[in-house]
Amino acid sequence: MKAKFLLASLAVALIPSLSFAAGGPEVKIVGTTADRTDVASLQRGARLFVNHCLNCHSAQYMRYNRLTDLKLTPDQIKQNLMFTTDKIGDTMKAAISPKDAKEWFGAVPPDLSVMARSYTTERLGAYLRGFYKDDTREIGWNNLVSPNIGMPHVLHELSGTNTVKATVFKADGKEVKDDSAAKALAQKAFIASNTMATFEHHVEKKDNKVESSYIVKTMVPGTDGRMTPPQFDVAMADLTNFMDYVAEPHKAKRIQLGILVMFLLSILLAAAIWLKKEFWKDVH
Amino acid sequence: MASNTPSMFKSGFMKWFDERLPLTPTIKAHLTEYYTPKNFNFWYYFGSLAMLVLVLQIVTGIFLTMNYKPDAATAFGSVEYIMRDVDYGWLIRYMHSTGASMFFVVVYLHMCRGLLYGSYRKPRELIWIFGCLIYLTLMGEAFFGYLLPWGQMSFWGAQVIVNLFAAIPVIGPELAVWIRGDFAVGDATLNRFFAFHVIALPLVLLGLVAAHIVALHEVGSNNPDGIEIKKNKDPKTGIPLDGIPFHPYFTVKDIVGVVVFLMIFSAIVFFMPEMGGYFLEYNNFVPADPLKTPDHIAPVWYFTPYYSILRAVPPFFGLQIWGVIAMGAATMIFFALPWLDRGAVKSIRYRGNHWKTFFTIFIVCFLILGYLGVKPTSVWGQFGGAWASILDTKDVATWVARLCTVGYFAFFVLMPWYTKVDKTKPEPTRVTWGDAPAKPKHGAHAAAE
Repeated sequence: MKAKFLLASLAVALIPSLSFAAGGPEVKIVGTTADRTDVASLQRGARLFVNHCLNCHSAQYMRYNRLTDLKLTPDQIKQNLMFTTDKIGDTMKAAISPKDAKEWFGAVPPDLSVMARSYTTERLGAYLRGFYKDDTREIGWNNLVSPNIGMPHVLHELSGTNTVKATVFKADGKEVKDDSAAKALAQKAFIASNTMATFEHHVEKKDNKVESSYIVKTMVPGTDGRMTPPQFDVAMADLTNFMDYVAEPHKAKRIQLGILVMFLLSILLAAAIWLKKEFWKDVH
Repeated sequence: MASNTPSMFKSGFMKWFDERLPLTPTIKAHLTEYYTPKNFNFWYYFGSLAMLVLVLQIVTGIFLTMNYKPDAATAFGSVEYIMRDVDYGWLIRYMHSTGASMFFVVVYLHMCRGLLYGSYRKPRELIWIFGCLIYLTLMGEAFFGYLLPWGQMSFWGAQVIVNLFAAIPVIGPELAVWIRGDFAVGDATLNRFFAFHVIALPLVLLGLVAAHIVALHEVGSNNPDGIEIKKNKDPKTGIPLDGIPFHPYFTVKDIVGVVVFLMIFSAIVFFMPEMGGYFLEYNNFVPADPLKTPDHIAPVWYFTPYYSILRAVPPFFGLQIWGVIAMGAATMIFFALPWLDRGAVKSIRYRGNHWKTFFTIFIVCFLILGYLGVKPTSVWGQFGGAWASILDTKDVATWVARLCTVGYFAFFVLMPWYTKVDKTKPEPTRVTWGDAPAKPKHGAHAAAE
């Protein structure tokens, strides 16, 4: 299914929407993104990651000393980002043992080393902002992007508590004439939402009759946490940015080297074309 | 053959050397005195490019093997280790993963050239057969290699393909266990696939490529006009009038092709190594989990036309095997091509409308099948109304795939008929080159030059 994401820039000015194929419901995200080259953002993201994510998750392929990429000295990394027992060359391991995690959560929380690559950075940013209070669930939380996921909203102290309003659009033969009218109304509500929203199509079979309905869920801001909503939004952009870095630490170097390689190849191309023309002068 | 030619050296070390190993005669026979039609166009770059990619894959593969661990517990981690901790490991890995896809791009274009200009026709049947064997080996090589990163798509892709063998009646289930070495894809499967990927198939591939080239240099290259340059030789020298030595003319020309190819290749490696999930699938960054089936299992793009054919064929008589047979037939039917084509001419330039129509249908069907193979069968919605009750499946895409499967096979199966009745244009006696002789009209393909 196609998911449509609307990304707002830091100044909350809208940039063109982008869509890509991914699992789950169609999601509209209202939020900011951070620049991969913004070292301060990456450093803030690292702090959030170490303080919150690493309690339960590991990033077992990511070494602490690689964080020198983010213009941090080994001493700064040791003092601010590591557990005292770890060595600087160690990889990022969860504070909780996998055995305990399995006992407490029913499953070991997934490794986050390449999460931004498998889940995609866009969905990750939406997911981190997509938690809401859901009392029907044992863990008390749910997520708009990955419905019924096993992870609770660990950052609720920062974000505060949001809720979700679900509206069902269904043909009733009167005001909403048929299925396509219901769909149009649902899409209108989805697009009009100024908070994060999802759009789902439900088809149920009841007594040989197919019942189709469209559900639009919109995020309703609730109580504030330690951060205001705009602050939390930037924090999640930083965290997503850092996780994107962790998923492929050499990305910046890759692009830099790529530009050099393309430049050298274009010189080689000019030489190759000249050489070919010189030789082929005698072919008649 | 090369060994019959005496050394060009009258004395000295090279004479001594050539008497013991025909080095300079071989260089002459295959490069400096291998006469190549001078009218090669754009389509003739892909043979040398396929060689280049083969070498790239072998060299990058050697370096990957130094750090990769073929073990279900550590394989995924070792790939991440290459990506992070090995110096320029990320570059070597991206070159190898991009190389795999680009190998198929180049080979598909190379095969398309063969179809366009009738390069499979007499006397080049053996070259074509070796080429088909290379293609099949390459598919095996790619399939075995795809398991090695041990991600979700590696695991489930291998599971699906190996299970195809289980569809064979009677012996199928036992055969699938024998291939896997286990009841499910596991460590034993990974180990043997690694052995096939790094040793067995590369050896076969190199042997086949050597045979492909030796056979080519024995009969000489075809060209966009599909006529034999050996029919018009200089009476004094015996050199074809339309032939020029491969070296230096085509070596310098192919260098241009190589650099253009490397620019495209580098743009992918450095700026978009996942290629939007087509070269490296997103789900393959999740470690293999035998307990969690992904929602949508799609093979890598180069297999998707055949995967579409597999999915399109419905079961008959309670047996699932027909799809597998159709898929197998779709790859094997290429072998029969030299004997299916009864056309009076070889090149599309002088073919009639029948051939052009069927060829276009074939290419369009192949592309649509390829597209549908990466999508779920529900991608184009479902038939409603009266149709729905009589169809075995309501998915529109499945029916389109069935139609395209028919189109794919029609190109081959009907070829003896339509090539025979086709109204062809007369072939020129000399290749089309520059102003003389006057170019016969042959539609859009003149633009390719």
